Amino acid sequence: MDPVLEVKNLTVRFTSGIALNRVSFTIEKQGIIAVIGPNGSGKTTLLKAILGLVPYQGEIRVFSLPVRQVLSQLGYVPQRFSFDASFPLTVEEFISLTCRSPERLPVGRVLETVGMTAFKGKLIGELSGGQLQRVLLAHALLHRPRILFLDEATSGIDIEGLSDFYSTIYRLNREHGVTILMVSHELSMVYKYADRILCLNRDLVSHGETRETLSREVLKKLYGEAVDFQAHSHAGSGADVHD
Amino acid sequence: MIEMLQLPFMQRALLTGLLLGLLLAALGIFVSLKRMSFYSDGMAHAALAGAAIGLLTRSDPLLAALVFGALLAVLIFFLERKSNLPIDSIIGIMFTSGMALGIVLISFRQGYQPELLSFLFGNILAIRGRDLALIAVVALPLLGFIYLQRRKLTLLALDREMAHMAGFNPDAYQLLLYVFLALALVLGLRVLGVVLVSAVLIIPVSTARLLCRSFKALARWTFLLSEVTVIGGLLLAYRFDLPASGVIVLLGTALFALAFAWNALRRRRQRSPAFPDEPKG
Repeated sequence: MDPVLEVKNLTVRFTSGIALNRVSFTIEKQGIIAVIGPNGSGKTTLLKAILGLVPYQGEIRVFSLPVRQVLSQLGYVPQRFSFDASFPLTVEEFISLTCRSPERLPVGRVLETVGMTAFKGKLIGELSGGQLQRVLLAHALLHRPRILFLDEATSGIDIEGLSDFYSTIYRLNREHGVTILMVSHELSMVYKYADRILCLNRDLVSHGETRETLSREVLKKLYGEAVDFQAHSHAGSGADVHD
Repeated sequence: MIEMLQLPFMQRALLTGLLLGLLLAALGIFVSLKRMSFYSDGMAHAALAGAAIGLLTRSDPLLAALVFGALLAVLIFFLERKSNLPIDSIIGIMFTSGMALGIVLISFRQGYQPELLSFLFGNILAIRGRDLALIAVVALPLLGFIYLQRRKLTLLALDREMAHMAGFNPDAYQLLLYVFLALALVLGLRVLGVVLVSAVLIIPVSTARLLCRSFKALARWTFLLSEVTVIGGLLLAYRFDLPASGVIVLLGTALFALAFAWNALRRRRQRSPAFPDEPKG
């Protein structure tokens, strides 16, 4: 079986300096993979490079193919979505704003998946941060992606919504086989839901099974003393990164 | 009215208004969503240099301005990509440089310049048959393309990364949008002039934004308001013997003011009092 994602010697340079330095890893099988690291460690850049949104050096293959050839099988929920909030665009219209294809799911179905059916006719500028993130997730799901990239997709979501959001992600992976690659600062959620983690600080610090990799030593290496993490054996425990 | 419609220059003016009303409305939606009003205004001013080149070389000034506008749009696109300068700075430089070039070039021609004045202030009633033909040849394919690619153009105007994820090249569509806008604005120069043409691009969609609660409704209202503004303004100008460009823009502004007042009243009715009558004493 082809590996889901192969990244070899990935380097990204901006005018301000190196964002990613010779990062290599392979994700062999589908699952939920979390990318963690301090601010400015290149997490967002990693996602953007994989998706072809920033220029890079190195090699990236998805299902053993160049990303361009499989772009339609990838979904992306960005960290920020800046738009003119006063522009009259309904949730349904926004989700429909993608090219028609035979694989496309009905808008109603993706809204149901993310629990936003009741908001179909609401203007996107009138949604709360959490509701908007759900709509962005619905938009990303429209083409039945095989891999979903989430870049701090839970920013702006309250504690109650956070658990719902991760449950949706978990269901997408376990019931529909969608691989999730998510950037997150919520270590408790990462510990609870992620099968594997990539620890990034411009270089790849560590990667592997979540429970084995998410140790106090690795976290101190990433965040210094700023993290207070208690990795209990039961799911849902632990603490998050305090910036 | 019937007599007026039988006049050949009026027929040409109405056809021109109909075409430009549609084209400027279609592009105005993306300009509003992508916040490109300054680009539109700047491009219209800079295109004066193209018209001046046409007049100096004794070629068709409208055609020369179209070519100049398209080249300028490509230049703005590449400067935006290759420099770290914000887009409004680049447009500001191009806007003033184009206008300055136009002024210098015009100074080489002596005497009264009626054709140049029509580019500065617009004169839809002076549209000739070949102007109308050129406008139709450029505007109809642009309208067809915009209609067929409306989803991609809207997605691009909304978010560049989403456009990329939808599987098309956002850079190519961005360049096309810049060039199309330049062409549409240059076509509008003969009707409304350098100073006023961007008003027809901006005012109808801004008015529609005050009235609508969906993108579909916004598109319909923008087209309707644009046509009412251009055709209505033209008829009013003819009836009262006033300059057409000024009347067209003023009619658009009046419709905007009405929509603004209606919107304010609607909001006031919807709003419940924040502080009910306070007890006295």
